[in-house]
Amino acid sequence: MNNIVLPSEKQPEITSTDETSLLVVILDSNPGQKMLRENPHVLTQCVDSVIAFANSHLMQKAQNKLAIMACHSKTSQFIYPGPSKPLDVRQVDGQYEAFTIVEKTTKHNLAKLLSSENSAVITESLLAGAIAMALCYIARIQRIKPPGAKLNCRILVVTGSGSSASQYMNYMNVFFTAQKQNVVIDVCALDQHLSLLQQGCDITNGLYLKVPQLQGLLQYLLWVFLPEPPIREKLVLPPPVKVDYRAACFCHRELIDIGFVCSVCLSIFCKFSPICTTCHTVFKVPAPLTVKPKKKKIKL
Amino acid sequence: MADNGLGSSNQESTLIRQNNLECKNLYDYLKTRPPNILEKLYNHPTICLAVYRELPELARQYVIRILFVDQPVPQAVVASWGSQAFSKEHVYVSKVLSELSVWQEATIPGGLLGWILSPTFKKNLKVALLGGGKAWSMSSALEADSKARDVTFLDAYSLERWECVLHYMVGSQQQEGISADAVRILLHAGLMKRDEDDGSPVITRQGFQFLLLDRQAQVWHFLLQYLDTVEERGLDLVECLTFLFQLSFSTLGKRKAGRFYPTRLALNITNSQNKNTPDIEEDTPKGYIVVETNYRVYAYTDSNLQVALIGLFTELMYRFPNLVVGVITRDSVRQALRGGITADQIIGYLKQHAHVQMLHAENRQPLPPTVVDQIKLWELERNRLTYNEGVLYSQFLSQADFNVLKEYAQTNGSLIWYNKERRTLVINKSAHDDVKKFLEEIF
Repeated sequence: MNNIVLPSEKQPEITSTDETSLLVVILDSNPGQKMLRENPHVLTQCVDSVIAFANSHLMQKAQNKLAIMACHSKTSQFIYPGPSKPLDVRQVDGQYEAFTIVEKTTKHNLAKLLSSENSAVITESLLAGAIAMALCYIARIQRIKPPGAKLNCRILVVTGSGSSASQYMNYMNVFFTAQKQNVVIDVCALDQHLSLLQQGCDITNGLYLKVPQLQGLLQYLLWVFLPEPPIREKLVLPPPVKVDYRAACFCHRELIDIGFVCSVCLSIFCKFSPICTTCHTVFKVPAPLTVKPKKKKIKL
Repeated sequence: MADNGLGSSNQESTLIRQNNLECKNLYDYLKTRPPNILEKLYNHPTICLAVYRELPELARQYVIRILFVDQPVPQAVVASWGSQAFSKEHVYVSKVLSELSVWQEATIPGGLLGWILSPTFKKNLKVALLGGGKAWSMSSALEADSKARDVTFLDAYSLERWECVLHYMVGSQQQEGISADAVRILLHAGLMKRDEDDGSPVITRQGFQFLLLDRQAQVWHFLLQYLDTVEERGLDLVECLTFLFQLSFSTLGKRKAGRFYPTRLALNITNSQNKNTPDIEEDTPKGYIVVETNYRVYAYTDSNLQVALIGLFTELMYRFPNLVVGVITRDSVRQALRGGITADQIIGYLKQHAHVQMLHAENRQPLPPTVVDQIKLWELERNRLTYNEGVLYSQFLSQADFNVLKEYAQTNGSLIWYNKERRTLVINKSAHDDVKKFLEEIF
């Protein structure tokens, strides 16, 4: 009989993640990128946007961590925190000192890296290698963090280079490592559509965005990539599109729909070869491979 | 419930609520400031940064999305940013942003209502993020100090100073080294009170609760109390807050203007919301408490303060030079609860000071779940009754009259309890006047 009506003044339950979040930004600075060859000034704009974005990440929470890498044609390097000891930066204007340090360090180290580059040969950016380095860095931070602390890690790749199937194996290795380490990989494509990296986003639950207009880069970064994975479900973000899951063959590094797969090591080939180049298994071929005519359905 | 006389329930409710330490965060504090003070505060990039970090997560995303937008953004558009499942959170977040005057309502030419960021807030947050404007301090004009203090020195120093205050509170031997100002604030905050006999300050219940907080929350609470006294003394609140936040955003161990070095205590003081997340950096004092599943507590400490704190909610059994052994019992916990300490505070304290070995446990929980649950259950034992102030209506002449009044109270949301057979109902005291008026109108 005791039907007690209690005043319900409860606040809506606001879930918030108080965990530390580590963001590793990989910026493709390879001068061989098509958009940079056409207009080298784009790089300045990209760097500015990325730094502003990185600082916004630090602004979210006091305990957030950041690392910025430059991915170059021959090498990948951490430009923040840099290899040398931190610059002695003092506040010059109203900017928060920690942000000034990020900006100065990044620009300083990037300039050093760019000025050391002198070959005119155009090579592709070593994105897979850079992601691998970022994963190693994350693993190290995870190892030295105090017990009981929780660290959410993610990697953001900002690149204008085209997709290259020649790094297919390396890509797949880093993607699955990232998946196993619970590291989210986000990709922001500046110039061309990148089907391989898109697969990586799909595998690691990251977001993929091809920026429609380079002028608005900072806004795109802030809108799409600033929210951490736990808040992403609360926001409406670009829906996942159909991912092109074609694999690259191991012989010519070309994306193929149908190919031959080694029954021992699962290597993929676009053409039949009697010996698997990966595990050296010899396939017994009774007769020269004859393509059987497909059974045609008899039309009634 | 029905047997509870009104008088006694009144008394009980005040009895229950008294003496609990109210620990405000920055949001609660700023919410109570008038808008013109807020506007003045937002003139400083530091404060904008601190306020931004204190916002709920979703609100931070909203602000950053419209940070670079000059026109008002239609409210419907902002609402569409969040997914449907979290619409409640959206409403809450919008309320917070309005309360802090971070954004204001504005009409868009088409007649729609929109949100626009407060121009001062927007300008200064941009300055903090991207640069421009005036420097916060004079540090750039300074030469290097010949006797620079290193981080370990500063940590040791700040730790020693703060412990000194805490020791003073529990009345340990060392009485020296605490300023008259600090004592005044402790008294003002109600953490200590003057003894009736000899006028010397003694610790209060709130004081004990204060001791159980983590260090950052302690510092913040202390500062808030200080800010309360600021205006009485004719200092400018805005200036004080600005200075505090400048300090909190400075770099550890780097010399600021003139002659001071910020220590860890001053850094990120506003950061009280993430109490239970150990910082990635190695700055938290080492834990010393081991709790076993058999409710035994081993504390590796020789500090009287820490022993006294553990003694608040455990039964101490043995004391060795570097170790205290106690056991958590129902009685000891209930005694603490009676003293106004909550179960969460006890658990929080144990968790915060858990020994490193406890953190290495496989299940990644620093405390045995059984102990945590039991402490919570012991608290719940005391909260079986909920007290509501109410007014009893009885002796209705007809069932119809009773029903009318019941319906009215129900739609009002002021009905606490009713009994159809005996035609009695209890109505929230605050709604008593309304209901009385209603009664006079219809009968």
